[in-house]
Amino acid sequence: MSEFIQETEMAQEALLEASMVERPEKNQPLGPMFWICVGWLALNIIGAIFANVLPVQNPLNQDYNFINSGPSLHHIFGTDDLGRDIFARIVYGSRVSIAVGAGSMLIGFGIGAPLGMLAAYRRGRFDTFVTTVMYVFLAFPAIIAVIAVLSFWTPRSMFKIIVVIGFASVPLVYRVIRTATLAIATKDYVIAAKVQGATDRRILMKELLPNIAPIGISFLLIGVATVVTLEGALAFLGLSVNPPTPSWGNMINESRTILAENPWLVLFPSLALCLFLLCLNFIGDRVRSHFDVTEVKL
Amino acid sequence: MNPDKLLVVKDLATTFNTSAGPLPAVGGVSFDLNKNETLGIVGESGSGKTVLARTIMGLQPRTNVAVTGSVLLNGHEMVGVSEAEKRKYWGTEVAMVFQDPMTSLNPVMRIGKQIDETLRVRLGMSKDAAKARAIELLELVGIPSPTQRYGAFPGQLSGGMRQRVVIATALACSPKLLMADEPTTGLDVTIQAQILNLLEDLKEQFHMSVVLITHDLGVVATRTSRIVVMYAGRVVEIGTTREVFTNHRMPYTRALLESSPKVSNPSHTRLVTIPGRPPNLLKLSLGCSFAPRCAYATNQCHQQRPELQSAEEPGHSFACWNPLPSKREAATR
Repeated sequence: MSEFIQETEMAQEALLEASMVERPEKNQPLGPMFWICVGWLALNIIGAIFANVLPVQNPLNQDYNFINSGPSLHHIFGTDDLGRDIFARIVYGSRVSIAVGAGSMLIGFGIGAPLGMLAAYRRGRFDTFVTTVMYVFLAFPAIIAVIAVLSFWTPRSMFKIIVVIGFASVPLVYRVIRTATLAIATKDYVIAAKVQGATDRRILMKELLPNIAPIGISFLLIGVATVVTLEGALAFLGLSVNPPTPSWGNMINESRTILAENPWLVLFPSLALCLFLLCLNFIGDRVRSHFDVTEVKL
Repeated sequence: MNPDKLLVVKDLATTFNTSAGPLPAVGGVSFDLNKNETLGIVGESGSGKTVLARTIMGLQPRTNVAVTGSVLLNGHEMVGVSEAEKRKYWGTEVAMVFQDPMTSLNPVMRIGKQIDETLRVRLGMSKDAAKARAIELLELVGIPSPTQRYGAFPGQLSGGMRQRVVIATALACSPKLLMADEPTTGLDVTIQAQILNLLEDLKEQFHMSVVLITHDLGVVATRTSRIVVMYAGRVVEIGTTREVFTNHRMPYTRALLESSPKVSNPSHTRLVTIPGRPPNLLKLSLGCSFAPRCAYATNQCHQQRPELQSAEEPGHSFACWNPLPSKREAATR
């Protein structure tokens, strides 16, 4: 009899061991592509900050010997219809584009994300009120609102553009974050934390925030891309920074009229914009999968 | 108040205001729980077990729900008080183990952190002390090499292991009452037995009372001292486990017992089922809610709701107009 008990116990132990199969915690390596992208972004940012100390030509200087010329030794990316150096204009233009992209998203997330999380977690009247207000704003075409405000708010400056686009993006950010939080807030682990006596602040910061972060970051990167192109559209309407200050957006837009004569003009700023966004997205994606702990990695 | 009573539930009712009208998910539930006792709550899906558990915990949606009655938890009223008030008792007086271990752990937080968060916030432990205690708790719930597991994410553990972690989290502040809402439903049968045995051991170690909610009669048969049988949000029979299993008076209890498969059945025996389906809670009749499915139903059953009445055995009561004969009655006949 005792032998039998012993055997059963051994079998139970074996079962326990088996149910404990180790699952490796191995993060996906970031890979060389990740570092290339980081390098490219760093280069962009350094270029934007130190444009006036770097050996770059004056972006406003007109070289009458080279009008609408393609790439050459004097001007590696060529010149535009006024003889200005494209390379210099791209480097200086990144200042406006990066600042507008990052700045307005900072405002959009700074206001939209906390409101969205709070509304989804609290529900009730607060949620109904804020959501209704946001949806009213969403129903109105944002570009028209931005144009209207910028037309009257003169003189224009980069700061004003950042503020206006930033506020225009609040309802969009709010909607995404609120929906993401709603899906998490009713999960058992949030209720479990609550009945362990966690305060609302703790639940918001420790339970909800880390779980919605991946969605937030993805949306942030898409947002930066959208805003950089939006700035270009505003530039086309003459509502962005005043010419001749360059930005990637207004360079692309200005070049459209002389596209047939000088295709280089549209190629390089587009390439700069494209690479910048590509790197941002690639980095975002890699970071997400590198730190993702919810999926079992084998 | 009786000092032996840890939990006294009186006339508890939870009604959801839906667009289709009021939905009485739990109605007129009264029972009590002694210290160090294990109480089973059984009933089929939709009988209000989980809503009852959450109402006792004081966990309702913030809107569209009305709770009446009283829940006295170790002398503290839990109905109609603010969340800040309830937070004082959550964790230390009462803790909860949830149904699905796959969703009751935060997937992006290390399991050790999930335990020592509670220790640090609620008991004011230092970082190191909390970590040591968390590892101790992990060991207590039978997780091998707890020091290494402390830093694991829930995704690296199997379902049974996760449920052990959930239990460890619930035990962090040594609660006096543990509400286990179908703690084994999401697990394999072999793991189920492990978890139930673990709960039983821990109950002794921590001097807790346990409310075990389940639809599986096999689970409650050996591990509870008393059983509450629920149907359509109401208690239809309550008594000691022995009484409910061997001397039940309510036809629903019998139907429930008969519909569980038995090992002694010859192979290819058809499972006994209860005819009909659970009632629509939005359209409850005035009478007994089990009447439409009951073989013994009379006119009275359809028109008047039976109240709980005492059986011969003290503490055993049932709600039925035409109860099954008790053992003693059957013997005298």
